[in-house]
Amino acid sequence: MLFACLGASLLACVAAPVVTRTVGRAAGWVSALPLLVAATLAVTARVAAPGSAAEARVPWMPTLGVDLALRLDDLALLFALLVLVVGAAVLGYSARYLGRGRHTSFFVLMTAFATAMLLLVLADDLVVLFVAWEATTLCSFLLIARSGPAGREPAVRTLLVTAAGGLALLAAVALIVVRTGTTRISELLTDPVWTRDPAFATTVAVLLAVAAFTKSAQFPFHAWLPDSMVAITPVSAYLHAAAMVKAGVYLLLRFSPAVSDVPTWRLLLVTGGLVTAVIGAVAALRRHDLKELLAYSTMSQLGLLTALIGVGTPAALTAAVVHTVAHALFKSALFMLVGVVDHEAGTRDIRRLRTMRLSMPVTAVATGTAAASMAGVPLLLGFVSKESMFAAFLDTPGPAWVGATVTGVAVVTAVLTFAYSGRIVFGAFAGRTGRVVREAPVTLWAAPVLCALAGLVLGAAPFLLDPLAAGAASVAAGTPVDVHLVLWHGLTLALGMSVLVFVLGSTVVVTRRRVDRVLAPLRATVSGIAVVDGSRAGLVRLGAVVGGWTGTDAPRRHLAVPVVCVTAIALVGVLGGSPLRPVVGDPSLPLDWLLVALVAGGVLAAVRARTRIAAVVVVGVTGFATALWFFALGAVDVALTQLLVEILTVCVMVLLLRRLPVRFAAERVRRRLPAALLAIAAGTATTLGVWAFTGRREMSAASEYFLRQGEQTTGGANVVNTILVDFRAMDTLGELTVLGVAGVAVAALLHARRPVPVRSARLDDRSPLADPMDNTVFVRTVTRVVGPLIVLLSLLLLVRGHQEPGGGFIAALVGGAGFALLYLAAPSDPAARIRWPYLLLIGCGVVVGTGTGLLGYVDGSFLKPLHGEVFGMYLTTALVFDVGVYLAVVGVVLTAFNLLGRQHRVDGPGGAPAPDEVGAR
Amino acid sequence: MTASVLPLLVAVALLAAGFLVACGDRPRLHATVLLTVLTAVTATGVGLVVTLADGGVLAHGVGRWPFGVAIPFAADMFTALMLTVTGLLSLTVAAFALAQGRVGTRYFAPLVLVLTAGVNGALSTADLFNLFVFVEVMLLPSYGLFVLAAPGRAPLRQIAGARLYVTVNLLTSTVFLAGVGFVYGTAGTVNLAELAGAARRDETVALATAVCLFALGIKAAVVPVHGWLARAYPATSPVVTALFSGLHTKVAIYAIYRIYAVVFDGDTRYLWVGVVVFSLTMVVGVLGAVGENTTRSILAFHMVSQIGYILLGVALFTEVGLTAGIFYLLHHMIVKASLFLSTGAVEVRYGTGTLGGVSGLARREPVVAAAFLVAALSLAGLPPFSGFVAKFSLVTAALDAGRSTAAVVMILVSLVTLLSMLKIWSGVFWGPVGEGSGGEGSGGEPAGRRIGVALAAPAVVLATVTLGLGLGAELLLTLARIAAAGLHDPSGYVEAVTGS
Amino acid sequence: MTLAVTAGLLVAGAVYLFLQREMLRVILGFVLLGHAVNLALMAAGGTSRRAAPFGSPEELSAVADPLPQAFVLTAIVIAFSITVFMLVLAVTGREDDTTEDDTTGEVGTGPDRPAGGSDAVPGVGTDPAADGGRR
Repeated sequence: MLFACLGASLLACVAAPVVTRTVGRAAGWVSALPLLVAATLAVTARVAAPGSAAEARVPWMPTLGVDLALRLDDLALLFALLVLVVGAAVLGYSARYLGRGRHTSFFVLMTAFATAMLLLVLADDLVVLFVAWEATTLCSFLLIARSGPAGREPAVRTLLVTAAGGLALLAAVALIVVRTGTTRISELLTDPVWTRDPAFATTVAVLLAVAAFTKSAQFPFHAWLPDSMVAITPVSAYLHAAAMVKAGVYLLLRFSPAVSDVPTWRLLLVTGGLVTAVIGAVAALRRHDLKELLAYSTMSQLGLLTALIGVGTPAALTAAVVHTVAHALFKSALFMLVGVVDHEAGTRDIRRLRTMRLSMPVTAVATGTAAASMAGVPLLLGFVSKESMFAAFLDTPGPAWVGATVTGVAVVTAVLTFAYSGRIVFGAFAGRTGRVVREAPVTLWAAPVLCALAGLVLGAAPFLLDPLAAGAASVAAGTPVDVHLVLWHGLTLALGMSVLVFVLGSTVVVTRRRVDRVLAPLRATVSGIAVVDGSRAGLVRLGAVVGGWTGTDAPRRHLAVPVVCVTAIALVGVLGGSPLRPVVGDPSLPLDWLLVALVAGGVLAAVRARTRIAAVVVVGVTGFATALWFFALGAVDVALTQLLVEILTVCVMVLLLRRLPVRFAAERVRRRLPAALLAIAAGTATTLGVWAFTGRREMSAASEYFLRQGEQTTGGANVVNTILVDFRAMDTLGELTVLGVAGVAVAALLHARRPVPVRSARLDDRSPLADPMDNTVFVRTVTRVVGPLIVLLSLLLLVRGHQEPGGGFIAALVGGAGFALLYLAAPSDPAARIRWPYLLLIGCGVVVGTGTGLLGYVDGSFLKPLHGEVFGMYLTTALVFDVGVYLAVVGVVLTAFNLLGRQHRVDGPGGAPAPDEVGAR
Repeated sequence: MTASVLPLLVAVALLAAGFLVACGDRPRLHATVLLTVLTAVTATGVGLVVTLADGGVLAHGVGRWPFGVAIPFAADMFTALMLTVTGLLSLTVAAFALAQGRVGTRYFAPLVLVLTAGVNGALSTADLFNLFVFVEVMLLPSYGLFVLAAPGRAPLRQIAGARLYVTVNLLTSTVFLAGVGFVYGTAGTVNLAELAGAARRDETVALATAVCLFALGIKAAVVPVHGWLARAYPATSPVVTALFSGLHTKVAIYAIYRIYAVVFDGDTRYLWVGVVVFSLTMVVGVLGAVGENTTRSILAFHMVSQIGYILLGVALFTEVGLTAGIFYLLHHMIVKASLFLSTGAVEVRYGTGTLGGVSGLARREPVVAAAFLVAALSLAGLPPFSGFVAKFSLVTAALDAGRSTAAVVMILVSLVTLLSMLKIWSGVFWGPVGEGSGGEGSGGEPAGRRIGVALAAPAVVLATVTLGLGLGAELLLTLARIAAAGLHDPSGYVEAVTGS
Repeated sequence: MTLAVTAGLLVAGAVYLFLQREMLRVILGFVLLGHAVNLALMAAGGTSRRAAPFGSPEELSAVADPLPQAFVLTAIVIAFSITVFMLVLAVTGREDDTTEDDTTGEVGTGPDRPAGGSDAVPGVGTDPAADGGRR
């Protein structure tokens, strides 16, 4: 039943696009029907379960214990009816109010909003309630935003304020769920924790209050409501009179049984509510735009509601419930009627309305009725609610002066309310001269008139509300409350106040011109809008600062931070001072110090080098020193690889140096010093790390296996090579891929951007060495002999790699060195015979490597080497795998030489420039 | 599905990549192979999710060498989920690239395939050194992708970004390698299963592993080592940014989760460090985002902030916390890619992503605008999108673990997130229509042309996914719960690897 | 100990170099850093045993640990690949290899404008005006 109710309203939303396409703006009437259906369904559901509340649930997120649970008690029913009936009325109204056309987004959003509100009041699951809450926020954002460019800033402000409130609610929800262990509202409200843990109750109470205040535009979060009046009238009438602002009230009423005993809650609600009530009323009295006036009056009325809930006595809660109904009726009516006036007269500004004569009897009477209800004139629901409000305020719990003050403020508000109610009526219809404005068509005023009429009927026969009000109040109070609403209470103090209100109120109305003059100079010292915008701008400025910390592309800035952090980690390690195991054996031999000295020299020279070529050379020196280290540590293959890599790196660097300035730019000491300090710190950290973390254990189990079983299992004597191509072939596959892809990446880079041109070498043409043919003759002759030898050697290294030092990498690097020689020997770039399909080689390398690995699946796993005797010669697929490695390496080396070696040489600055130079000029 | 399939995820992608490199510039072939392989990878991921739904673990010693010698490949639910989502993302981004016409260049497809191979390897391996290798296999193609551009057209900014990206990543890898060396030096193995709980038993191992975790932290762009991401990511092409956003930082996060769960065995002594650092990451990231003025730099800074959220899950190290973290991770990958793709579509079509440089697109490009809005609201954690479920579960988990400060930070940050998303929204999709669109800076193209369906589709698809994950969160939550259980008590993972 | 000192020296040099402005120095710094970490890896296997690991030796007490050697081999080659790429990056910048932020405004269209975003295919985000945009 409940889901049917929800579904009906959802249907209206889903169907809206189709409906608008077929019947245009008349969709208002069509989509009003499902809402009324939903309303009847809700009533029947409630009647069907008289004693208890109607419930329904389907699981949503069991993992989080969240269900889509609905529960319809009297409080829910009351608000559901408001949402649906007023919603239907507004939709019907907008069918005529809107211009011809589709207005699809309007109808979709309005119905979506109605659905969200319905879900909000029906939800029995805290998370579902929150979802609905945020949904209403979003709908209002979009509805305000769709009213054109003028609506955007207000929309954003509204969203930010209400979303902030939403986050407060989220915090409350999370706290409650964690603490009570359930998300079911009906259960968690009765949880003993509320009484047992005041701190928790207070926190939640404050969070809930903040959430409700933002939603119901209570001080100090009230700025957005008048701000949002840019939205078209139906939106204002619904969202900002009947529905959205009431969501806050609903939340307060719903949680009141749990937190009404928390002092902070009472204080917040009563003070906040009353402050809002007064400032709202005063502001309303100063407005000339009727719609704006209504907006402020809404704030004020909601302030009274909030205060009533804060008082929290059964009487107060009853008054709150009744006044909610009354307010929904007269406020929606008034908004729509102002809309009617606006629609017909073309303005809603009192000053301009004075200059024309509105002969709109129906509208006038209806406006009068609604306004009277707002002013609390007898025979209208507003009167009943106001009476009970005064009564409730009078016996506010606590010391007598509290009740007195609260009632006093309430009376003041009531007077002002009476005054601005009069202001509306006389402001709109007082004009006697000028252009005559005729009555609007019935279709336009029907809906508001009905609302106003409802106020009248319920006012004349308030007892009709008794059962529903009683039920709702009992839910909010958490204890059964019986309500007998009557027109005549007898000669009570409350009645006396009403009389007082009438007297004072009417005098203000009569003397309204003078009042205007008194109020006009009043200005709010600080506008809420300014505050919101200000904090936004402030955040953006702060953000710019924070972003500025890292706002550079220069690598050195970004590299320094991690180095500092690593050093810090080392420091932690030192301070932590966890016990270290003893050092095993004797890790260092006397000869090592020679290597240390060599490296030290190299590093120092590299740091001090002023020209690029020098830097490259000395870094090369440290490279060779490192290679020696590897030899010294018994890592032959590693040493060979290191050596060859060093050679190739230097070759590539030489290719590039032609394109760079000779000298490094001079650095100021101010810049050099920090770098030096950080360098020393990092160096120390490393030394400590290596010293502490290494050489303190026996050989690892894996290594023992390699040394003992390696040869038998793989048939390879070169243990390191067997690890590479057999045991940990996956690493090697990745490695050869990396190498190959480096080639592709280089190609891609040079495809995307041409390198800077080669700088002209200042050659002395008279020198005998000037002629390239002559001065390369030696190298060329040598190459003719050595070239083939090198290639042979590399193949040999490849084949024997499994047994002796060598293997795919070393072999290929040797081959690569061969090509390097070929290139360097060539008298000129074009003559260099190195035009090979390098990408093809790389591709084949990767394919061969991976393909061989896939063969392994024959024996059950990727990269499982297959052994076999072919023609009496022992073979293993590991060798084929090595061929893949070989191809990839050769490929990448060739890529480097092809792309960097033979660039369309530019002699001097006059040559064909790279695109960027074009741009630079 | 058997464990021996895991290496195939690497092998097939590599084979295809090599093949494409070898056969040169054949656009249609490239496109077909790329999409086929990526689809296959995603499908395999789904298959693994189904297989491992019982909380089981697949493990396979590559080369069938004995345990301790072989490089183990292993997959549990966490791995499977990551494989699926990374595959899905690569596929979507590839589709976007196709629509944009980038696959026409002979480099894109092979590089993406190698990247995929690297991702799959890094996710599946249970060996620290092998992890290093596969991270490199991810990085090299990324360098290539980073600098891809029309012939000779790469602007200096892109090269500068590439220099930053390469150098920082190289430093990161080197630090990680040193960490691996220290781990081997102290524990005598780099096999995760053998390292299980080692950091808890031995403080030197803990410190050595901390070096590795720190390196991964740089990769994941955790404050204070976040700057490189915020600067470098906007410097490349939108499609590549989208691709990276889903893969690189996320693999690092995955590794952090895995290593802390297995090697530290979720040691509670160090968790507070994580809580502090990651809360800081949230704040700094989101503030940086608000300050930026181009769509992609805003989104890039947001990644930093969101990474703080995701990693908080491991810093809580309760079962709910891990569940929330994993859910957040997967949600974030999808939403982020969607955002980068929708704004990327705008950038590609209108030639600029500067706020105000192009504006008023909400009416002109309603579909893209809607996709962006959905993803943006999801990122800000509003219901009914997946972002809400992620945020809510993480906040409750934090409160549950007694980290109320972190919870407060999360909530406040999400408001600022919303603010910065609105900044993009009102900068690009609102404002005067026509200004900038097709005109200024976009090479004088006819202003009449709009973003094509093919270019908009990827973003829309992912936006739909986030809505689906919001309304139907239960499915992913259940899977995340299984994955979290596997991390909270890694014994199953360890036994499986040991037994391989 | 000696190895630890060597690594420390190399790292110090490396850090100093890659905190400099020129890309080439940054690269050289990383070359040194590579050496340092490789030596650290070797150290991780223990430096008291230094005999080259060949065949299947009976007595292991003197034989060096082969696993770190395999690691280092892989690491060296990977470092080499990246170095080559970085070297090319060094010469694809402005006229020299400075890594300071570009203030000449070559990319007049701002950081959000990598022409990479617009590929060769006409119409699909191409901007023939990329150069024009820089003027």
